[in-house]
Amino acid sequence: MSSNNPTSSDATAVVELHSAIETPENVVLTYRMAGPALRLWAYLIDTVLRGMVLFVAFITAIVAELAIEGVPFGIWLLLLFMMEWGYFAICEGFFRGKTIGKHAMNIRVIREAGYPISFWSALLRNFLRAADMLPLYGIGFITAVVSGKFRRLGDLAAGTVVIEERKVRLPREPIILEKIQPLSRSDIGTYVPPHRTLAVIEEFLQRRFVLTHQRGHELAAHLAAVLSRKLNFQGEANFVEEYPMAFLARVYVTFHPTLNREADEDLGGSAADLQPVFAGGKG
Amino acid sequence: MISQRDFRRQRSGDWARFEALIHKIDNNGWKKLSGSEASEFSRLFRETCHDLSIVRTRDWGTGLTSYLNELVTKGHNIFYKSPPTRSRDFVTFVSSGFPRVFRRNIWFFLAASALFFLPLAITWVVVQNRPELAARILPAQQLDMMEEMYAEAEFEEYDASRAAMGGFYVRNNVGIALRCFAMGVLLGTGTVYVLLTNGIILGAVSGYIVGMGHGDNFLSFVVSHGSFELTAIAVAGGAGLILGDAIVHPGRQSRIDSLRTRGLEAVQIACGAAVMLMVAAMIEAFWSPAPIADGIKYAGGALLWLLVILYLSLAGRGEVAE
Repeated sequence: MSSNNPTSSDATAVVELHSAIETPENVVLTYRMAGPALRLWAYLIDTVLRGMVLFVAFITAIVAELAIEGVPFGIWLLLLFMMEWGYFAICEGFFRGKTIGKHAMNIRVIREAGYPISFWSALLRNFLRAADMLPLYGIGFITAVVSGKFRRLGDLAAGTVVIEERKVRLPREPIILEKIQPLSRSDIGTYVPPHRTLAVIEEFLQRRFVLTHQRGHELAAHLAAVLSRKLNFQGEANFVEEYPMAFLARVYVTFHPTLNREADEDLGGSAADLQPVFAGGKG
Repeated sequence: MISQRDFRRQRSGDWARFEALIHKIDNNGWKKLSGSEASEFSRLFRETCHDLSIVRTRDWGTGLTSYLNELVTKGHNIFYKSPPTRSRDFVTFVSSGFPRVFRRNIWFFLAASALFFLPLAITWVVVQNRPELAARILPAQQLDMMEEMYAEAEFEEYDASRAAMGGFYVRNNVGIALRCFAMGVLLGTGTVYVLLTNGIILGAVSGYIVGMGHGDNFLSFVVSHGSFELTAIAVAGGAGLILGDAIVHPGRQSRIDSLRTRGLEAVQIACGAAVMLMVAAMIEAFWSPAPIADGIKYAGGALLWLLVILYLSLAGRGEVAE
């Protein structure tokens, strides 16, 4: 599946538990497989739940036996059968790959191509549980470790994987960039940092709030030193060494097309004017 | 070129809207969606896909990429929903789907039947002639208990407890059949083992009871539900053998691909066997022990065997699929 995927070779995100697929919209999606611990927790939650339902039903059946002999136990045994063989398949088949335990652990069963699991796949996947669970899920665990993408026998046969769904929020915008002073043109040379460098700075600034101030400066120092050399920075002495984060932010603002109004005035905002500088900087 | 910042400002409204729609569908399902919302969803899905490609190619940071990746992933899972399962599908499955897929794989059923019925017949004949041999297969107490059960004509009370027995038969027999199917994924070995052991034990018990002289009581009891029950065990075994064969003889596919394509047929056969066993359980609970003359039970049993054969060989013939 990933062999005909054009970006799989250079997509750095493909590490053991990640898998990439290409959708009909020609977009590459990466999934994070749910590991053994999450799946075990989900299974334990489901097992406790099923046990509780069966226990309550059993008590009810004992009471009901007084009224109609035989029938309540018959129904209870049918319920026991459904819990043993039907619970997982019905939940996954009808609730788009989720049991209650999986819902609690935020994991979901999907077909390997990203599509929702079908009823028959859910049935196959969970009937084969009977083989996977032999000695204490030993077969399932070993298969999952060997097969890649952590698939047990039921997953291999049904063509499914279990993925982790995380709540991801739109990352915060780097704050107060408007108030940051661009570097003065007289302090720097003709070098223009490439887009990728600016993107790295931007992402760094976005995630700055998860780092301590000191660690932030440590991380920023490397790039700041290289950039100040390339830019031939002539400003305040020790500024780069002492406040590398601030320096990166100022570099970012300086070369940002809409944030730096000064640059627009200097260069007339024309792309044609920018081009030679850009090319020269690169060469 | 537009900057990451401006791009986000332009698009984040749509993303938030898309997120809200996904949330709504996750909680309330498709059906609560209005027409305009549905078309809005598909438009936003395509646009977000496009946004994700842009962000990927321009390297606009892992934070934004994983956010959009998550949105598109969820959208993809909703957009390409499998066809819904309806109760009508179950009826078509029983009336034509299952017998058809069964007949397409008839050779596996025949192989499983040989593995099940041959040992059954052989042990039956051997043990019936020399009942003392049964002790080599089953513990003596169990045999005594069985013999006692069938010693009298009315061996079980026919009362309300039949319903509880029905539940027990469903759980026990369907469990055996499904386990027999599932073990097929271990290269077929598990299925072969379950079929052989069940065949030998059933043969030994039958031979012992008939050999001890309770033939009429026993046969009139088992003849009816045996039709669905024994056939269904072999049907489930055949499905298990398909799984094993898919891995051992994958043909031009990879072994996993072969298991995947043929597993989908096998599970339908196993599911059909489960339905047959539920029918058998009801017969075993309510008809087989009924206080009726043996002659009527034999006639009913013969009719049921005929029904099983006709069902598996004729149902769903001639109709056009879909």
